[in-house]
Amino acid sequence: MGSISLTINGQQVEVEAGKTVLQAAREAGITIPTICDHKDLNPYGACRMCIVEIEGVRGFPTSCTTPATPGMLVTTESERLTTLRNRTLELMFSGHPNSCLVCPHREACEQYRPKATKAARSTRCGFCANRDECDLRTMALAASTQDLQLPTLYAGYKLERDDPFMDRDYNLCVLCGKCWRICEKIHGKPAISIINRGKWARIGTAFDTSHVYSGCTFCGACIDICPTGTLTDRFARWQGKAEREIPSTCMLCSEGCSVIAQNKGGQLLANTMTGFTAASSLCALGRFGAAQILSSNQRLIRPLVREGEDQIPMDWQGAVQAAAEGLGPCVAATALVISATTSREDRFLYARLAEHLKGLLVILPTAASSEEEPLQTLTAAMTKGEIRALITNGDFFTADLLRSLPFSLVIDALPSAGSAQASVVLPAAILSESAGTFRTAAGLVKTLAVSSRAPGDARPEWQILSGLGQALGLTGCDFSTVEAITPLVTEDTAPTTFAGDPRENVRELPVRFRGHLLADIVPAFAAFGLPVTPVEVSEEALGEGFPILEKREIAPNMHFFKIKAPQVAKFSLPGQFAILMAKETSERSPFTLVDWNGAEGWITLVIEEVGRSSRELASLQAGDRIAHVSGPLGLPLPIENKGTVLLGGGCYGIGAIFPLARTLRQAGNRVICAIEASSAYLLYMEKELAAVCDQLIIATKDGSQGVRGGIQEVVVQVAEQETIDQFIAIGCTFMMRMVCEVSRPLGISTLVALNPIMVDGTGMCGACRVSVGETTRFACIDGPIFDGHGVDWDELAARRSAYARQEVQALPQTVDLNALMHQPHSHGGGCGCGH
Amino acid sequence: MSFSTLQQQAQLQWQEFERPERFRILIGSATCGRAAGSLEVLQAFSDELSQQGLLAATDIYEVGCLGMCYAEVLVEIRGKDGCRVLYQGVEPKHVPALIDAQLLRGEAYLPLALAVINGATGADLPAFNELPIIAPQVRIVMRNCGIIDPTNIKHYLARGGYSGMAKALALTPDAVIEEIKTSGLRGRGGAGFPTGVKWGFARNSVSDQKYVICNADEGDPGAFMDRSVLEGDPHAVLEGLLIAGFAIGASIGYVYCRAEYPLAIERLQGAIAQMREHGFLGENILDSGFAFDIKIKKGAGAFVCGEETSLMQSIEGKRGMPRSRPPFPAVSGLFGKPTNINNVETLAAVSAIMERGGAWYAGYGTEKSRGTKTFALAGKITRTGLIEVPMGISLRTIIEEIGGGVLGGKQFKAVQTGGPSGGCIPAQSIDLPVDYEHLAEVGSIMGSGGMIVIDEESCMVDMARYFLTFTENESCGKCVPCRMGTQHLLKILTAITEGRGTLEHLELMRKIGDTMKNASLCGLGQTAANPVLTTLNYYEDEYRAHIVDHKCPAGACRALIRFDIAVDRCTGCGACLRACPVEAISGEKKQPHRIDQDRCIRCGSCRQACKFEAVQVD
Repeated sequence: MGSISLTINGQQVEVEAGKTVLQAAREAGITIPTICDHKDLNPYGACRMCIVEIEGVRGFPTSCTTPATPGMLVTTESERLTTLRNRTLELMFSGHPNSCLVCPHREACEQYRPKATKAARSTRCGFCANRDECDLRTMALAASTQDLQLPTLYAGYKLERDDPFMDRDYNLCVLCGKCWRICEKIHGKPAISIINRGKWARIGTAFDTSHVYSGCTFCGACIDICPTGTLTDRFARWQGKAEREIPSTCMLCSEGCSVIAQNKGGQLLANTMTGFTAASSLCALGRFGAAQILSSNQRLIRPLVREGEDQIPMDWQGAVQAAAEGLGPCVAATALVISATTSREDRFLYARLAEHLKGLLVILPTAASSEEEPLQTLTAAMTKGEIRALITNGDFFTADLLRSLPFSLVIDALPSAGSAQASVVLPAAILSESAGTFRTAAGLVKTLAVSSRAPGDARPEWQILSGLGQALGLTGCDFSTVEAITPLVTEDTAPTTFAGDPRENVRELPVRFRGHLLADIVPAFAAFGLPVTPVEVSEEALGEGFPILEKREIAPNMHFFKIKAPQVAKFSLPGQFAILMAKETSERSPFTLVDWNGAEGWITLVIEEVGRSSRELASLQAGDRIAHVSGPLGLPLPIENKGTVLLGGGCYGIGAIFPLARTLRQAGNRVICAIEASSAYLLYMEKELAAVCDQLIIATKDGSQGVRGGIQEVVVQVAEQETIDQFIAIGCTFMMRMVCEVSRPLGISTLVALNPIMVDGTGMCGACRVSVGETTRFACIDGPIFDGHGVDWDELAARRSAYARQEVQALPQTVDLNALMHQPHSHGGGCGCGH
Repeated sequence: MSFSTLQQQAQLQWQEFERPERFRILIGSATCGRAAGSLEVLQAFSDELSQQGLLAATDIYEVGCLGMCYAEVLVEIRGKDGCRVLYQGVEPKHVPALIDAQLLRGEAYLPLALAVINGATGADLPAFNELPIIAPQVRIVMRNCGIIDPTNIKHYLARGGYSGMAKALALTPDAVIEEIKTSGLRGRGGAGFPTGVKWGFARNSVSDQKYVICNADEGDPGAFMDRSVLEGDPHAVLEGLLIAGFAIGASIGYVYCRAEYPLAIERLQGAIAQMREHGFLGENILDSGFAFDIKIKKGAGAFVCGEETSLMQSIEGKRGMPRSRPPFPAVSGLFGKPTNINNVETLAAVSAIMERGGAWYAGYGTEKSRGTKTFALAGKITRTGLIEVPMGISLRTIIEEIGGGVLGGKQFKAVQTGGPSGGCIPAQSIDLPVDYEHLAEVGSIMGSGGMIVIDEESCMVDMARYFLTFTENESCGKCVPCRMGTQHLLKILTAITEGRGTLEHLELMRKIGDTMKNASLCGLGQTAANPVLTTLNYYEDEYRAHIVDHKCPAGACRALIRFDIAVDRCTGCGACLRACPVEAISGEKKQPHRIDQDRCIRCGSCRQACKFEAVQVD
């Protein structure tokens, strides 16, 4: 194609014919703002940000859709264009929770909380996993004008998390259409599109069914292309941006797809596609499964050696020695059964070892199970005593068989019933934890790059085998790097082609990884019909605990609970809290008591969903039971008539100030309640509070209701009107700290209810240690209410964030959510899927 | 069979149809007539005639719509002596009397007689063509509606149908396009782009395959012009589509018709089958070498699918969402091929133009707006109906003569044209000539032909809110200004009608409206703010009254009004008390009544029921 010449902003631009005005401008180094444009997608023209003026063309055409023509005169910047773009951006943001952007305390808040807060629904930037890489946010902050000052129209969709691997929060969606367009590009027929019309238009599947039944292959492209926090990888959602992107190869089946390993802090977050093309497509296992297998909390992390009935942890040297001693007498009577999900180098060493031991080497295909034909023969030979020792790197034999063998060595990453009976267990570094090369079914040799750190003492198999070979007296087996082995691998055969194509059909995923059922390692795979080992739940356990009488989400992420807990209710006083455990395996988490009735035996709480424990609680419904409710704990607030009391509540604190307001007013105080939220739609309990106080003041950070700002603005306003004899603030640490800074110079006595990390709640562990006025106090038994002006806020903030990383990593391990996926799928039946 | 033989056969059938000696009953049975009960009337006629032994001597036909909605069910009877009379408001109970008078005695049945079509009735009845609703009209698009049997291609042929096609096929495509250019016809879907020019673009696109599409996705609330033509004269549209196909070089035509028009689809299907039987579809039509076929695609009722790029996506089986132009459909349209899209009314005019010549058509209308335009006349008007008038006719003629003035003698306030994309024309512009240019001048549009008359009791804010409710729902959601702008405008309008508005809202609505107009992707979004912008332009005082005084001057916004009974006017007749649905009115007989404000839901039933104007709204 020839080139054409046009003029953009007075600048002569030469481009290839067929390019759009936007492409031409970019080539000339002229920036035009866009949101829905993407280099791998066809022009769409939905965001309307890239409008320009073209001489002779009516109105304001979008540069992304307009083909550049010879002699065209284009203007990309003018007052009119800026006004229209800014207003369009404001309109877009009015449908995208944005209160943080207009919050007067944004900068201080972001300095104080450098990471966005984990939440269920992302109700604002500060609660959005995408905050630090959000182009929209950058664009909005750059366009500082607030010409229209539109209220946020929060759609109020629930967080969609019944589907495997993805959290979908359509409240954030700006309908740029990138997700469904990339889906269409990669898969031909997209599994998703825009559904509904007008204000209810959003991304969804046909008939709004589960993605599992929509033809979605869970390739993750939509997540990777989404510019907002709408579509997120549940596992990686709160991990932040990857630090390194390492090209590598997926070895979870013999296809050996090329991937980009997304790495952060030595952990694999995900394998993403090498490009947004059909040829680069990945399956659910490669995209999501690899990272979750690696981070499984079941991983084998230490060598184990069997002694009698027990397997004793041992150092590597001792364990390898034990293995060599066990194998030594079994020459010509050893079988080596190896999964094909190993590198060429690993297999080379297994073959050397087999040769040395005059053993029988069997390499099993990717999804092999113990029913495999060669294994049946082997099992027979073992039962007959012809084979006396076994080396295996997966779950291919029954516990009974391994127990009956004179010697067995399991080199694996995950435990199994079999490995629990093995003579020696050596923990292996797998997949992207180990380097090497991989031969694909197509015969290509691809590189396996190390992109994550193995847990505990786990080592790559080549390293284990090298040591074991040496211990067995095998010469030429002393390798210190995998690169030393690679040139020696001359004869390796391509693995058999994997029967299914999970990139086309998610139901054709391999069922097993190294003989382990995939769904046992990553429960989400059960949603695709992959088999899972049944877990026995004792009937007794189901009947115990504290029944939930009522549960509602009263504001996004704010869950109101009414729980039957007679002993707690009987003794509760204002200012006290209770510690809850959703189930026996949950963490203990403290929550302020909002209301109680000793006679009827119930308590109420407001639980904000911000982490694993609160998510476990939030996933429960009325009728379910909470495993443990301990309380009341902490010191109650001394109730006296002080005169005028100002109570400030934010987030969960809106509920927490309720019992204080009621009791303080009964004691004769004039009670003013001030509540703050980022935006009006996050407020709750206004009526309840209004009923128990003399005055209710509402503050919102975006000015959508009441005072523009937060409690600190309210304190100043109230103090101008009347004397505040006592001020009590409950909410996030940032808010409490800020109000203390305001109230100190005003000389207002200020109490705050502190919320440090707490474990037992009875003064034993010291986790909740806080420094108040030079003394060390325990929030659980000395508090939680302290003099705010004496609190060492920096220390509190540091102690509260001590486990931030672990908290993030723990989030996707919430087993209850995965359990939801095992429930049979059912809906209206319109789609004819038969469910 | 040659075309002239077909025409001769058709003439014979038509003569039989028009033979004065036979009894004939024509019942207006388009969807509108059916809704008014025409099929029950038809059944009553056939039962009664059968009982009287007259069925064999009488022909009964379902015909299309004459456009006199206010007078449904319409029945035209040709009885003894060949005299033809049009009756209005016919119900099954009237049938025996009608048969007795008109059929057997040749006398008009005066209680229902509306006009005489021809012949002498002995009574002083107006002639049909001189009725005030009919006289100013020029019926080209609706030339056969209500006159022929729409299921009979022979009737259409006999009335000159398909002779336009025959003429066109004998010409070159370029000559056909020239003829359309001569006629000055502009697209009747709303935008008013010259049809001949549009065809020229598609003709000049080189491709192995081209398409023509008839846009029958009539979606404006209250608009039913296209439905009426499709039901009353489907061949007129299909012939136009075929001519368009020939002109641009397309071999396939689509009719994209909304599924809510089942009768129109049925008529189209029947008509297409007849075209095929008569050799008007298929290979080598009338030995011209031209091959053409027509397919029907049912739309699922999305307003945005009336927009041409959305419509094509919908035909392709995708979600109906607009895309930016260029490329224009004439270059890359349906399935990426050059495509020409015309609206139903445009195509029905095309067949007439090819039959009678472009110059003939150009003889009607104004210099820049040639020919005629149909309107669905509705709202607070005495005679609601479907009308076809020459361009340039004054709004006053339409409202006062054709429509018979504002309903109930109330004060005329404005007329809204163009549906949800249109705007308001205030009372002071009543002498405005109705054509593309003049409507645009006052900030409204021709649109597809909705015309809603507004009286003093209609609130302009509430009306804008009504249209925004529609567009907010029907926005496809693709582009930001339309999706978000309609939501905000509706929220603000609702707040104003409920007395929660602020003066800042007025400026904000103008800014949002401006952004939508200039930055939206398609016509829906670009025009969705029009109902707000034009009412703000002409009736800002009314907006301010809602905001500042918390009053609705028209007495329509429920949250801002109260009804009271004027003691001095109330006669204690009890009409209001009986009309009240919530028992909010009390009072003794012949004593002034009272309204319990706490119970009152401000529905206005009492006000309508009161004969003494004692119920007052404030």
